[in-house]
Parts: sequence; structure tokens; C-alpha cells
Amino acid sequence: MSEEYISVTCRTKMKRISEDYQSRVPDNTALKQQQLPAYRLQLSATGILSGFFAAGAFCLGMGIILILSAKSIKEIEVKYTKICANCAELREDATNFDKECTCSIPFYLSETMKGNVYMYYKLYGFYQNLYQYILSRSNSQLLGTDLKDVGNCAPFSNSHDGTPIAPCGAIANSIFNDTIILSYNLNSSIPIEVPMLRSKITWWTDKYVKFQNPSSINLSSAFAGTTKPPYWSKPVYELDEEDPGNNGFLNEDFIVWMRTAAFPTFKKLYRRLNRIQYFIEGLPAGNYSFNITYNFPVTRFKGEKSVVLSTLTWSGGSSLFLGLAYTVTGAVTWLASFSMMAIHLMLKKKKMLFIQD
Amino acid sequence: MGEVVCEPPNNKLDKFSGTLYWKESKFPLSNQNMLLRGCVLRNTEWCFGLVVFAGPDTKLMQNSGRTKFKRTSIDRLMNTLVLWIFGFLVCMGVILAIGNAIWEHEVGTRFQVYLPWDEAVNSAFFSGFLSFWSYIIILNTVVPISLYVSVEVIRLGHSYFINWDKKMFCAKKRTPAEARTTTLNEELGQVEYVFSDKTGTLTQNIMVFSKCSISGHSYGDVFDVLGHKAELGERPEPVDFSFNPLADKKFLFWDSTLLEAVKMGDPHTHEFFRLLSLCHTVMSEEKNEGELYYKAQSPDEGALVTAARNFGFVFRSRTPKTITVHEMGTAVTYQLLAILDFNNIRKRMSVIVRNPEGRIRLYCKGADTLLLDRLHPSTPELLSTTTDHLNEYAGEGLRTLVLAYKDLDEEYYGAWAQRRLQASLAQDSREDRLASVYEEVESDMVLLGATAIEDKLQQGVPETIALLTLANIKIWVLTGDKQETAVNIGYSCKMLTDDMTEVFVVTGHTVLEVREELRKAREKMMDASHSVGNGFTCQERRSSAKLTSVLEAVAGEYALVINGHSLAHALEADMELEFLETACACKAVICCRVTPLQKAQVVELVKKHKKAVTLAIGDGANDVSMIKTAHIGVGISGQEGIQAVLASDYSFSQFKFLQRLLLVHGRWSYLRMCKFLCYFFYKNFAFTMVHFWFGFFCGFSAQTVYDQYFITLYNIVYTSLPVLAMGVFDQDVPEQRSMEYPKLYEPGQLNLLFNKRQFFICIARGIYTSVLMFFIPYGVFAEATRDDGTQLADYQSFAVTVATSLVIVVSVQIGLDTGYWTAINHFFIWGSLAVYFAILFAMHSNGLFDMFPNQFRFVGNAQNTLAQPTVWLTITLTTVVCIMPVVAFRFLKLSLKPDLSDTVRYTQLVRKKQKAQHRCLRRVGRTSSRRSGYAFSHQEGFGELIMSGKNMRLSSLALASFATRSSSNWIESLRRKKSDSASSPCGAADKSLKE
Repeated sequence: MSEEYISVTCRTKMKRISEDYQSRVPDNTALKQQQLPAYRLQLSATGILSGFFAAGAFCLGMGIILILSAKSIKEIEVKYTKICANCAELREDATNFDKECTCSIPFYLSETMKGNVYMYYKLYGFYQNLYQYILSRSNSQLLGTDLKDVGNCAPFSNSHDGTPIAPCGAIANSIFNDTIILSYNLNSSIPIEVPMLRSKITWWTDKYVKFQNPSSINLSSAFAGTTKPPYWSKPVYELDEEDPGNNGFLNEDFIVWMRTAAFPTFKKLYRRLNRIQYFIEGLPAGNYSFNITYNFPVTRFKGEKSVVLSTLTWSGGSSLFLGLAYTVTGAVTWLASFSMMAIHLMLKKKKMLFIQD
Repeated sequence: MGEVVCEPPNNKLDKFSGTLYWKESKFPLSNQNMLLRGCVLRNTEWCFGLVVFAGPDTKLMQNSGRTKFKRTSIDRLMNTLVLWIFGFLVCMGVILAIGNAIWEHEVGTRFQVYLPWDEAVNSAFFSGFLSFWSYIIILNTVVPISLYVSVEVIRLGHSYFINWDKKMFCAKKRTPAEARTTTLNEELGQVEYVFSDKTGTLTQNIMVFSKCSISGHSYGDVFDVLGHKAELGERPEPVDFSFNPLADKKFLFWDSTLLEAVKMGDPHTHEFFRLLSLCHTVMSEEKNEGELYYKAQSPDEGALVTAARNFGFVFRSRTPKTITVHEMGTAVTYQLLAILDFNNIRKRMSVIVRNPEGRIRLYCKGADTLLLDRLHPSTPELLSTTTDHLNEYAGEGLRTLVLAYKDLDEEYYGAWAQRRLQASLAQDSREDRLASVYEEVESDMVLLGATAIEDKLQQGVPETIALLTLANIKIWVLTGDKQETAVNIGYSCKMLTDDMTEVFVVTGHTVLEVREELRKAREKMMDASHSVGNGFTCQERRSSAKLTSVLEAVAGEYALVINGHSLAHALEADMELEFLETACACKAVICCRVTPLQKAQVVELVKKHKKAVTLAIGDGANDVSMIKTAHIGVGISGQEGIQAVLASDYSFSQFKFLQRLLLVHGRWSYLRMCKFLCYFFYKNFAFTMVHFWFGFFCGFSAQTVYDQYFITLYNIVYTSLPVLAMGVFDQDVPEQRSMEYPKLYEPGQLNLLFNKRQFFICIARGIYTSVLMFFIPYGVFAEATRDDGTQLADYQSFAVTVATSLVIVVSVQIGLDTGYWTAINHFFIWGSLAVYFAILFAMHSNGLFDMFPNQFRFVGNAQNTLAQPTVWLTITLTTVVCIMPVVAFRFLKLSLKPDLSDTVRYTQLVRKKQKAQHRCLRRVGRTSSRRSGYAFSHQEGFGELIMSGKNMRLSSLALASFATRSSSNWIESLRRKKSDSASSPCGAADKSLKE
């Protein structure tokens, strides 16, 4: 009896299911039947080989162009940590911060540096990319909106008495503060100071978006209630008192420093040659000297610093590396394509036989 | 009040012991009184019963085994790999932490002027410890957490493709294929062993009267106008049986000459069908006038009686002593004198009837091997033509029976009946005595002809099996059926062929016998392979597999047939390996008479020792355990109940869909999953390892290379969708090709596309990419300046450059990996790149910075950095250097060591091969070995039941008195039967267990 009962319920269930099935006929769409129109990627021998040859040609060509343009760059680097050893020694002791130390480094430029000449300072072994270091800044403070916002700036957020530091943070505190003046000895007697521009050495977005001075009648009152970073000799509103557009947070040397470098050895733009008078063509060959006010201590962390003069090409001041890398890549690619072609041709006969089997 | 005391629930299908207490008397209960779950009542409208066990306590459910959580081998591998990656992560953390400690000790202490240590940090060692945890957090992107989610999404997509597949939709039953689990798809591409049930899976359990040979003339073939044998499908209209009001409408026959012969009144033909309508144990039921229903104990008999019915010899009704047949419209009642019942040894049955004229005749049908020896030797020509026909039928995979008759005179019959009575009353060795009495009368018979019954296979079964075999999938049939039936189906499915060197049959009843038989089989195979010579035996085998014996390399084709009782011994712990070795050396294995639990044990055995992926396919409740045990269980839906489907992982309604499920869906799933995993590990390593290299330049201070937003979005937005699209849609060759070249399935079985080696290659590629990704920009940036003279090598520009080249390189890489570019792939790949740049510029925009100056610190970076030619030259160089080796490697692989799939893709001569393949698949008619089988699924004991009249409808008034009269006799005989015979009239219970 129960058997029969079960079979009856089963049957009604089956009926219901079969009605469901009516609606479960799969749709005949390309997507559901996996028949979407598609391009089947086939790496054909000719395609690959021509691609390889083309890539090789491109890389070789590019490499040669880059090498040639890199060769055309004139660059001169003067390391002055050792030359100014007495200054370096002086700076080892932090208590001597108020003692001025200058250092003059003569050098001879054998060839004219044509075109725009840029002066960089270069630091060796200075870690601007440490995790804590990169974080230690306050963008909202630098934007001028909230001078008191020093939340991210540890360990240089407040001075001992609790006043917020402006600009706060480890980056700002460690600013490169040497002064480098290039002078040209036209005759053996009178050195001429080479005219240099301190503007347009930052990104436009940094100067006009990322950094803003707090708005006030004058800068010193705007920064009232804050104190200078501990390592600074003067407050931020006295960085460039001659040019109000280059003072405070808008000081370009400051902005350049605040764009942290990716690697422990880096060079940052310091000045651009102002091409006037003797220097319309660039830096003429002759005797020069760097007059350096040595403030920035590097020997403490076994670092070094140097000053670099350089010209540019279309791609910027590129080093040989990119050109060499392209050339090597191009050469290897061509080698690879020749050997691949040889293998392909050798196997072609065999392959035909194989397919015919 | 009644009470049943019985054994606790167990899984023994053939044993039951209990006692029924009813009105102060005790009745023993044995297995004969049991109906198992899933039984169907036959030949009766109702019966009284008592439920002893229900639900999970039933013997059948006890047989179904435990449900195990199924996971794919790739899943397990993935877990291992993730653990390894985790170990790798810790290693990197340790290296960087040591680096940090050293750095802080050497440099950091002196650098404290500019960056004093945190108050908590008091030593370089502690700083290193903190750095370890920082790096674990930063580098955790190598441990792909989103991997698991993506894998599930891809599997879900593949499952939907299976559900949506129109080519796996059975129009007749309106059943689509269904992926009931979404976690096993890629394993479908790795199956090595298929365990199949027989009835309902390979066969439809429908017997069709297909051909016959009557006194030397064969009927049933259809010839077209030119006299060629017509193929299936191009047949004309079936024979019209409208002359016969009692004909079964569902019966189809195509050869009209047979009907003409009947109508012409050919005496041989008449006698042939008369025999079919008399000599059987079928019960008829006539609900309304002319609406006949046959209840046949075996479908073979049903088919034969139905054939006779349509050709005008309608078996109408029977009583214990009479059979009424409508012969060409006139009712004739024969007096039934005796039924010489069927049993496995006799392989034949006979009836002795007295026709209305009073003549006594014995009609006999049975297996040709036995019957042909018992014929009168007067007609050798007829014998030889019939034998030819039998061979022909057997060659087509049909089940044959030989029909014969013999006239008996009254005196002889009287004497014989007396001897039979004595034999049946004998106390000892009654069976033997009866057999010899039967033997005596069944001699010198006159040959009438032969019948051929087709055990209808499911559509496309032989083709599917042939294709799967070509794909190196081994198919084992596990059936509850008898050996003869199973072997016959094995032949008609083309699993067994006469080309086979030998078919071993293991039927031993004791451990020793079975062991001996297995040993002999092995020895034979070994001998054969030695004699053939070593050069011939080298088969393509998996290099890693050091499978236990030489038997793997056996030459020649063998098959193994093993019986349930032998299997019980073979599966014992000390013999199972022997059995497995022997079985695996054979091309086909058939296990018959197995219980559901044994099915599961066999699957478990292969699973355990072979490290191969197993698939079980079945349709009934008795397949549940096997379906649950195998790696993948497939249920045939819409046949008999839904237990199998409910336990299964995939279900569809036709066995033939298995080829599509494995060769198309499974293969693609495996391919896609492997490609997906390779790429996923690659991209995460390329992404993360850059931090590791940067660690050496930033004092191991756990500074990331990229912007934090890039790190967050890289896995979720920039790279997830293209690889998902590839994982869902990719195809290497069109689906038709994977059917044409079943060998394409092999990489999955050999686990070639994703294994530890492939994983390390991916990792190596990822690390290689990360090295270039870091050091090329480093080399360029270290000295270069921008074209306006300002510094290029600031941290933010470097971050943007590396991130951009990373996104471009991995996009190019996915482009190369994607073999099948649909619109969706285009959309996702180009879209990801577009979204990267869009988000980059948005994040670096002035507006966001003005709102959140401390959160979006990269303001102006994108437009300033990406405007530099040097940056783009760096990105281009990085891309070229990262991609070129990959392309070169692929090119060399294509030239030197192409995969089959590569070859298929590149072959222009596809047509040629396709034709060859088709030739292989065409059915080849066999002409040798005849496997005649009388009513393979037949059971002994029905003759007696009919003669007793017990199973006649009691409602029939005419019989009521008779029934009461003879009931005592019947009960007595039944009791006797029970006591000394295994098979009994209650075999209905066994039978309805399906197999």
C-alpha cells in the first residue's frame, strides 16, 4: 500500500519536474553554447619572426640614438666632501652649527657646455626612501590650510615646548642647506659670479598645487604660532626674503627637497644657468670655482656630496644605461630571431613530413 | 498484536534473519520474505507488507556508503602550493628582517640624526623583528587570497556552460545536463577510469525482437531497391500490423516478408510463432477487451511473446493447466502438461502441451550451444544455415535463441510424466534427478529456427566507448547482472571484441581458486608479451609513474570478467593488489553480480592505488555508493528514480553525453583552470617580488614600491577580469577537434598542464619579470633627469613607472595566454588597461588632493611622469625584455616539441585525419564467437509457480476454486523449494532490485 502511495507522489512530482524542464531547454545563444565569435590567437612562425626582427631593429635603433644623445651631454661632477674636509669635520659636531664654514673648489672646464646648463647637488648614501622618512610630512600643512596639522610628522612634529613645527617632519627638517655659488674666472684676477636662476626647478603641480603658503598679510604673521624645524637656522618665512614668490612653503629649493628620492644616491636640481652676458651660449670653457657654504653634514652617516653641472638632450639628462640596455636587447633579439629562423627552417621539412603522417 | 524481532540494520543484501510473533505463533523471516527499498511490484496489484527498516536503515541505504567531501586534485595541489608560498613568504621576511637588522646596525644608527628610531625600538635587532612583520604584511600578496574566489567563479562559469549545453540536452526527456556541484569541473579533464553501471546506463533495459531465422530463411534485414542492406535511419515504414486488432502498437518490425509468410500460412512460420506464444512464463492481463498487458519476468521473454502476438499468435490468457492463444484470429486452447523450467545449467526451457486435436508436443527454446546438440540429425542443411544465421546475429551483438519442437506420443509421455513425478518427490539430489529426466525428453528435437533479440543500447553507446577508449580512458562495467548478460553487452558495446587476445573469466568461489585464476591470467599475459618481443611492448606511459609491475606494458588486448563472489575474495586486503594489477593490464574489465558496496570497493581500490581520477556513472539506487566514492559521480537522470542523480555531481540523461562532458567540457575546464593558475601565480609574483628587490635599496625599511592604492587595486581591478575571462572562455582547439582527436585528452590524465614543475616555471617567470621590472627602471632612473632638468628619480615617479610597466607587461602576457579572443576578452583586457590609466589620473588629480591632501599624496604625478619620453622608453624596454623570452620559448616549443593541440591547430590536413578517424569508428561486423543466451535475466522457478496457479489472478472467478484446491500443494512445494534452492519463486524481490 505504502509502496503505491509513494509511487503516486513520485509520479506527481515527476510531472511537476517535467513541466519545469519545458522551461529548462537551454537557450541557443552563442554565449551559452560557447560559440562566441572569437579570434583564435595563433602565433604563426612568420608572425613571430617578423615581430622579433622588427623589435630587434627598433631596440637597436633606439639604443644607438640614445647612446649618441647621451654622449652629447656634457657633465661635470665635483665631489666636495673630501676637498672640504675641514668643513666636514666641523659639521660632525652638531654644536658648531652657528660657525660658518666656506670652501672654494676651483676646476677647469675644457669644453664649452652649450645650451642650458643645470646645476645639481648630489648626495651619496642619504636615504630619502625610508618608510618612516617618507611618511614624515604633512601635506595639509604644506598646503597652507592647516598649519597645526602635524599628525604624520613624528618624530619632528612639535618642538620641546609643544609648538607645532612648520614645516614639520623628518623630510623638511633634513633639508639640504649648503649654498653653492659658481664663479667664472674670465681673467686670472676677477672671478665673475655665474648668473643662476632659482626658479622653475620644480614641477608646476608642486609649486602651484601641492605647496601653498598660508594666507595672511605677511608671511611671518602667517606662520605665527609655529616654530622652525630644529635643524634649520632660520624660519621658513625667511628662506628667500627677496622674492616673496619663492618664500615660505613656496621656496623652490624646499619643494625640490620635499620630493623624496627613490634611491639613496640621488641628485636634485639646484640652479639653472641664466643665459645672459658671457653665458648666452652656455658655459664657456675656462676656469671656474664652486664657492660652497658648507652646512649639510654627510660624514656622520658616511655619505658624500657633490655638485654636478650638466646639459640636457631631447630626452632629458639620460645616462648611458638606457641606450646600452636598448642596444643589448636589440642585439640579443636579433641573435634570437636568427637562431629561431634557422631552427624553423631546419624543422620545416620534418614538420611537413610529420603532418603528412 | 504482532511483533518482529530481527537483526540490526546492515548492508547485506542477500541475508536477513528475524522472527515474526503473531497470535502466539512464531514465523521465521528470511531474505525470501524481504522486499528491498526501490522494489517494484510485478504481476500483482497489491500485497500486504510491513516496513522493517526505513530511511537510512534500509539495506540499500546502508550500502550507499558515506558521503565524502569531494575535492579535485588541483585543489589539493593548490593548497600545498599556497602553503609553500607561505613558507617562501616567511623566508623572504626573514631575509629582509636580517637585512634590516644589519642595515640599522651599520647605517641606520648613524642616520638617526635625520630619522631617529621610534621610542620603542632600542636595538637594530628589534628593528629587524618589526621589519619582519612589516614585510610579511607587504609581501602577503604572493599568497593569493583572491585565488580561491576566482577559482570558484571560474568553476561556476564552467558549471553553467554544462547546464546550458544544448548538445547535452535530451530532447526526448527534456532533460538538460546538470552540474550539481561546481567544484569538480577541471577534474573532468583528468579522468582515467570510468566505472559504469550497465542497465539503464549502457542499455535501455528494453529488449527488441529484431531478427529471426525460420527453417533456413532469415527475416529482419531490410533491403533497399538495389538489394543492399539498408542502414539504420534510412529504413522505410515499419510493417503494418493493422490486420491484427490485438497487436501491440509499440512493436516495430521492418521486414514485411515475415508477415507475408505468416499470412501465406507457411506451416514452419506458424509453428515458430506458436512456440513463441506457448513456451514462456509470461502472465497476461486484459484490463479491457483487447487491451493486453504482458507481465514478463524477463524482458527477453516479453519481447518474444510480444513478437508472436503481433504476428498473429496472441497469447491471451493462461490457467495452471491451459494456455489460450489466438492463432490468426481464432482462439485455441492448449492443455499445459508440463513446464520444464529454465535454470542456469540447462540454459533452456520447454513446455509440453496437448493441442485441441489431442496431439502432445514439446516446445523448447534455449541457448544454441546446448540445443543444437539435442536436435534430430535428419536435417543437416537446415542446421548449417541456421548456424550461419546465428553467427550473423551474434556478430551484430544480438542475443540469440534456438527454437525446436518434438512430437511425443501418448504412452511415452505417460511414462515420462511418471518418472518426472518420482524425481520431483525424491528426497535427495532432486535437482539432478529432475535435470536428467528433462534431458531425456529434450532430445531428437526438430529445429524450427532461431530468434535474435536486441538488448537495446542507449543511443551512441558503442561510439562513446570507442571514443573514450581512444582517449585512453579505461572503462570498467560494474553490474549486478549475470555474467552472460554483462559479457554480451560488453560485446555489443564494443568493449570486448573478438580481436582480443583473450577474455579471462574469474568465477572462483574460494580464495585459492580466485588467486589461482588471477595468477594464470597474469602469466598468460606475461608469456604473450615476452613472445611478442620487447620492441613491440613499449607503450607511451607516464614517465613519473613507476607502476608496480611489468603488466602495464603487456602486449595484446585482454579483458577480464569477474563474478561478484570472486570479487569478494579479490577485494580482500591480501589480494586486492594482485587483482588490481591484473585488471589494469586488461583493456576492459567487467564485474558482474556485484553488490552496491562492492561497486564502491572496486572504485575505492582503483582510487587508492592508482592515483588516477575515477568517474562513476549510473542511474539507480544501487549505483549511489559507487557514485559517492568515485572522484566524480555522474547520474543518469530521468530513468528510474532520482537517488543516483541526487548523489551525483553531474547528471544527464544519456550515456553518450559522457564523451562531451569529458572530452569537451572537462578538457576545456582543465585547460582553463591550469592556464588560469599559472597566470595567477605569475602575476602575483611579478607584482610582489619588486618590493623584495626594493628592500635592498631602502634600508629594508618595508617601504613599498607602489602607491598604496595601486597595491589595493592591482588584484581586484587591474588584473582580475582579463584572467577571469580567460579562465571562463578560453579554448585551445574547437570542440569538434577534441572529439576527432581524443588523444587531446591525455595531457589532463598525465597532469601535464599544472603540476609542481609548471608552478615553479610560473614562479620563475614571475620572479624574472619582477627583477626586470625593478632593475631596468632603477638603472635608468639612477642617473637620468627629466627633460626640464629636474630630478627624475623621485620615489613617486619611480612608483608610477614600475606600476605602469607592470600593468602593461601582465596585460600583454594575458593577451598571449588567451587563445580565444572573444569580445568579452577584448573588453576586459583593454578595459583593464583603460581603467588603470583612468584611476591613475583620477588618483593623482588636483581635485582629490585638495579634498584629502594627506591621503592622495601623488598629486600631479601621473601627468608629470608619463609625459617623459624616458619613462615611456623604460616601460617599452621592460615590456620587450619581459615578453620576448616568453614568445621565443613558445616558438621553440612549437617548432621542437609541439603538443598535439598545437599540431591540431596548425595542421591544414585536418580533413584527412578526420576521415581516418571515422573509418575507425564505423561498426565492424563480427563473424565469429556466438554468444547465445537464453533469457539472460531469467530466473528459475517460474514454471513451477505457473503450474501451481498461485500467481494467477484470484479475482478470476473460474480460477478461484482451483486456487483454493491447489494451494496446499503449492505451499508445500514452495517450502521444499525454499529449503534447498537459492533461487525461489519470490525471486521477484531479487529481480526488482533491478539487477
